[in-house]
Amino acid sequence: MKKIQTLLNKKIIVLDGATGTEFQRRGMPQGVCPENWCVQNPKITQAVHEDYVAAGADIIYTCTFGGTRPKLEQHGITSVRKINKQLAVLARRAAGDKVLVAGDIGSTGRFVEPFGPLKFNEAVEIFKEQVKGLLAGGVDIFVIETMMDIQEARAALIAVKELTDAFTIVSMTYEKDGRTLNGTDPITALITLQSLGADAVGCNCSTGPQQMLAFIKAMKPYAIVPLVAKPNAGMPKLCKAKTIFEMSAREFGCFGKKFAIAGINMIGGCCGTTPEHIRLLKENITGVLPRKPKRISISALSSARKHIILEKRKTVAYVGERINPTGKKDLQAELREGKFSIVRKFAREQQAQGAHLLDVNAGAPGVDERKTLKDIIGLLAVNTELPLVIDSSKIEAVEKALRLYPGRTLINSISGEKTKYEKLLALAAKYGAMFVLLPLTEKEVPQTFEKRKKIIEFILRKAKSYGFSKDDIVIDGLVMSISSQPKAALETIKTVKWSSRSLKLNTVVGLSNVSFGLPGRGLINSTYLSILRRNGLSMVIINPCVERLAYNKKAEDVLLDKDKDAKKYIAYYQRFCGNKTLISKKKALVSSPEEKVLQSVMDGNRQEMKNHVKDALAKGVKADYLINKVMIPAINKVGDLFDKKEYFLPQLIASAEAVKIAFDYLEPKLKKSQANIAKKTIIILATVAGDIHDIGKNIVALMLKNHGFNVVDLGKDVSTQKIIREIKKYKFPIVGLSALMTTTMVNMKEVVETAKAEGLKCRFLVGGAVVTKSYAKSIGAEYAADSVEAVRTAKRLKR
Amino acid sequence: MKVNIFEQINVTVPQERIYSRLGYAKGKTQVSKEQIEQTEQYIDQALSVITLKGAAVRIDITDFSDALVSLTNGSVLASRDLAEFLSGSKEVLFMGATSGLEIMRLITENAEGKDVTAAVVFDAVASEMTDAALGWMMNYFNNELRRENKVLTKRRFSAGYGDFGLENQKLICDLLEMEKLGVKVSETSILIPEKSVTAVAGIK
Repeated sequence: MKKIQTLLNKKIIVLDGATGTEFQRRGMPQGVCPENWCVQNPKITQAVHEDYVAAGADIIYTCTFGGTRPKLEQHGITSVRKINKQLAVLARRAAGDKVLVAGDIGSTGRFVEPFGPLKFNEAVEIFKEQVKGLLAGGVDIFVIETMMDIQEARAALIAVKELTDAFTIVSMTYEKDGRTLNGTDPITALITLQSLGADAVGCNCSTGPQQMLAFIKAMKPYAIVPLVAKPNAGMPKLCKAKTIFEMSAREFGCFGKKFAIAGINMIGGCCGTTPEHIRLLKENITGVLPRKPKRISISALSSARKHIILEKRKTVAYVGERINPTGKKDLQAELREGKFSIVRKFAREQQAQGAHLLDVNAGAPGVDERKTLKDIIGLLAVNTELPLVIDSSKIEAVEKALRLYPGRTLINSISGEKTKYEKLLALAAKYGAMFVLLPLTEKEVPQTFEKRKKIIEFILRKAKSYGFSKDDIVIDGLVMSISSQPKAALETIKTVKWSSRSLKLNTVVGLSNVSFGLPGRGLINSTYLSILRRNGLSMVIINPCVERLAYNKKAEDVLLDKDKDAKKYIAYYQRFCGNKTLISKKKALVSSPEEKVLQSVMDGNRQEMKNHVKDALAKGVKADYLINKVMIPAINKVGDLFDKKEYFLPQLIASAEAVKIAFDYLEPKLKKSQANIAKKTIIILATVAGDIHDIGKNIVALMLKNHGFNVVDLGKDVSTQKIIREIKKYKFPIVGLSALMTTTMVNMKEVVETAKAEGLKCRFLVGGAVVTKSYAKSIGAEYAADSVEAVRTAKRLKR
Repeated sequence: MKVNIFEQINVTVPQERIYSRLGYAKGKTQVSKEQIEQTEQYIDQALSVITLKGAAVRIDITDFSDALVSLTNGSVLASRDLAEFLSGSKEVLFMGATSGLEIMRLITENAEGKDVTAAVVFDAVASEMTDAALGWMMNYFNNELRRENKVLTKRRFSAGYGDFGLENQKLICDLLEMEKLGVKVSETSILIPEKSVTAVAGIK
C-alpha cells in the first residue's frame, strides 16, 4: 500500500496493456481457457509480462481475468486457488522488484442479486476464493476490471477488503451511451465504489481513448481517490469475421497528455493494445505531474443508476416518506404476505412527483423487518433509479440492507443510544454509507437546542474516530408537534441553523410532525419548510405527492432561477391547476346536451359519458336520436380518423368504450319506449383452438357491439366443435375467427371446412397477426386487418 | 453449455416503440394533453408490474447442411432460412425473455371489459419491453464476446420466421430452461405467459 501511494504522489502510474489479444497474436487458439493456456505456456505468458515491464509499465496484471470458479468451470477446471496462484507467481517473476503485480479479477459472467440469480454473499465467496489464490501467489495489489454490473463490482471489492487491506482498483466498462449495460454512469459508479473502499476507480475496455477521456473528465471533480483508465486501441471493428482494433501505437500514445490534463492517475491499455502502445503512452506522460484528487470526502448518494451530490444543491432535496407501513393498513397487510405492489406504486408515484431520494422503512407488527427491508431494498434497487434511505431501528436489518444495496445509501438514523451507535457507526464505515445523526439518547428526547447540541457534538466525535468526515453526516433537526409543545418549532430551527451555518453540515427534518393535531396541516407544513429553508435546511422528509408541497418546490425553483423560463412551473401549474380552467372553457363552448355526448365520443370521455346521456334524455332528446344521429356518426368519424392515423389505438378504444357505456345505459330505455331499432345481426366471435391471444378479438367485439351487432363472444382457445354448435343456434350468422400464431391459424380452415361439410349457412370473417387477405381467401373467408375494417366488412356482409 | 439466467433485466423504456405499436404516427396523430397523460399513466402502471427476466445459452455449431443446423448438444434445427441466417457462425446464442405473469393478469382482466383502453396500452408496453430485453441480452453477450474476439450477428431470428417453424419453440425453451423463468410452451407452441419471446443469433 505504501509503495503505490508513494508512486501515486510522484507520477502518473503506467499500467500494462492487453494480454488477451496479445496472447491471441502469439498463438493462443480461440475457444481455449486463457488461464489454463497461460499455465501451459509459461514462457509466452512471462514473455508478454516482461515485454510490458520493458515498455515501462509500473504495474502488470496477472492473467487471471477469467479466474473465478464459474468461468474456470466452463472449461472443466476446478482448481481455482491453484491456477490463480500459479499465474500470480508467473507475473511476480516477470515483475521483479521494481514493478508491482496486480491480481486481476474479472466478471463471473453471472448477474448478482438483485439484478441476477447469483446471491450476493455467494458472489462474495466466489471472489474470495480467487483472491486467496492470488494472495498466495504474492500479488501486491488488486484490480477488479471490466465490470458491467456495479453489484458484481461491489461483491468483488467486499471480497478483497474482507481478506486484505491491499490497494484495490475497481474499473467499470461503459457502453457508447456512457453507461454500463445495467445503466450505471461513471460518476454514480465512482460515488458507490470509492465510498465502499476502492482505492482507485476508473474505466477500461469498451471504448477507445477519445470517449474514455470524457468519462475521466466527468469523474474528476467528484473523485476522492485516484482515477484509472485503460482504453482499447480504438473502437473494435469487424473485418472478415474478426474483431480488429485499428488505432496505431503512436496515435494511442498521444492520448497520454490529454488524460494527464483530465486528471488521470493510472493509465494503461486494454483490448488491442501492445507493448509498443504502452511504451509510447509512457513516453508521452513522462515528467507530467499527476493531478491528485481535489477532495478527501464528498457528500453524495447513489443508486445503481443515479447519484445526487448534496453539496451542489441550491434547493432542498426531497426524501419521499411513503414507503413506511406506520399507519398504513394495506401496506402492512401486503408486507406480511411478502407482497410489494404498494411499495412499487409508492416508489413510482414519489419519483413522478419529484422526490430525490426514497426513505424505506419496513417496521410493522408481524413483519420480519430484517427480511422484508432487504427484499424491498432489492426490489427498489431495480425498480427505481432514486437513491434509497435505509430507515430502521434494527441493526441487523440495516446491516443486511447495506450489504445488498448497489449504491451509496443514507442510514436513517444513528442516535446517541449507547447500545446502538458503536455498531451502527462501524457498519456505516464498512459500507461507506452516509448517516442521519438523530440528536436523542435512550434516556431522553431533548426539547431544547442546547441539549441537542451536546448530543450532536458527542456523536460527531465518535464518528470522527471511525473515519467519517462532515460530508458523510446529515443532522436531523428533530421536528416535534407544536400543538403539544409551542416552542418545538423554534428549537428545531435553532438546531438546523447551527448545524448548517456553524458546523457546515447537511441537515434534514421529518416535516409533517410539526403540524400534528392541527387543522390546515398543509399550510403549516409548507410555511415551516420555507422558514427552515432560509435557515439552511438541505433535506426534507415528506410525502411529495401532497400537492401543496410539490407545488411549493416548483415555485421555489422559479424564484431561485433554477427553472429556466419557468417552464417546469408552468407545466406543473397547467397540469394540476390550469386544466380545470381549460376544461371549463372547453365545456362552455360545447353547450347543448347532444354536443356534449358527441364530444365525449370524440374525446373517449368514459368518465362523463353517462352523465351527458342522462342530461340529454332529461332535456328531451330521444334515445334513438342520440344513438343514430349523434353517437354512430361520431364513432364512424373516430374510425375514419384512426384510418388516417390522426387517432391512435388508445383513442379509438376509449371512444368505443365511451359509446358502450352510453349504449348500456340507453338500451333498456329503447325497449321501454319501443323504439324502432333494426333487428340485430348475430356475429359469433372466437379465438380458435390452441390460441390464447384474445385482446384483438375483444377490441373487435367492442367495436361491433357499438355498431349494433349482437355479439356472441365465445372467448379464446375455442374448439371447432363448440363454434359449430354455436353456429347451428342462429340463422345465417357472421362468424368472426381470430388467431395470432401460424400453428393455430390452421384451425380457422378446419372451422370453415367443417361448417361447409355440415351444410351450415353462415359467413366467415377472419383476422389476427399472422392472417393475411390471401389466406382468408384461400379458406373461403373475408379478411379484416383491424377492428375498424372488421366493422366495415361485417356491415357489408350483413347486407 | 450453461444457461445464463438474468433475474432482473433493466432496459430503457422504449417509449417511441410503444407509441408506434399503438399506431401513433409522428406528425399525423393528434392527441390531447389529457389523452397523453392517461396513456402515460397506463404505461407507468404496466411498468410497475413488469419484471423482465431472461435466459441465454451459447451452443457450438457442429455442422451445416442446406437446411439443417446441427449443434454440439445433439440438437438439429431444420430450416433453410435459419441455416442461411447463421451461415459463417460458429456458435448459436439462444435467448428468451419474459415480462412475467402479473402483466398478463392485468391485460386479461382489463381486456375482458374493465378497461380495454388500458389493456391495449399494457399489451403494447409488455410486448416492447420483452423485445427490449432481448436487445439488452445481445448487448451483454457482445461485451463478453469482444474479449474472445467474436461478435454476434446484428439481427436475431425467431421461430415462426420463414421456414423456421413455430414448433421449434419447445426445443428452444427446453435449451433455455425457460420453466425456471416461469415460461411454458403450449401444445400449439404458444409461450405462456404470452408476453414472452425467444430468439437466436449467430456468434461469428
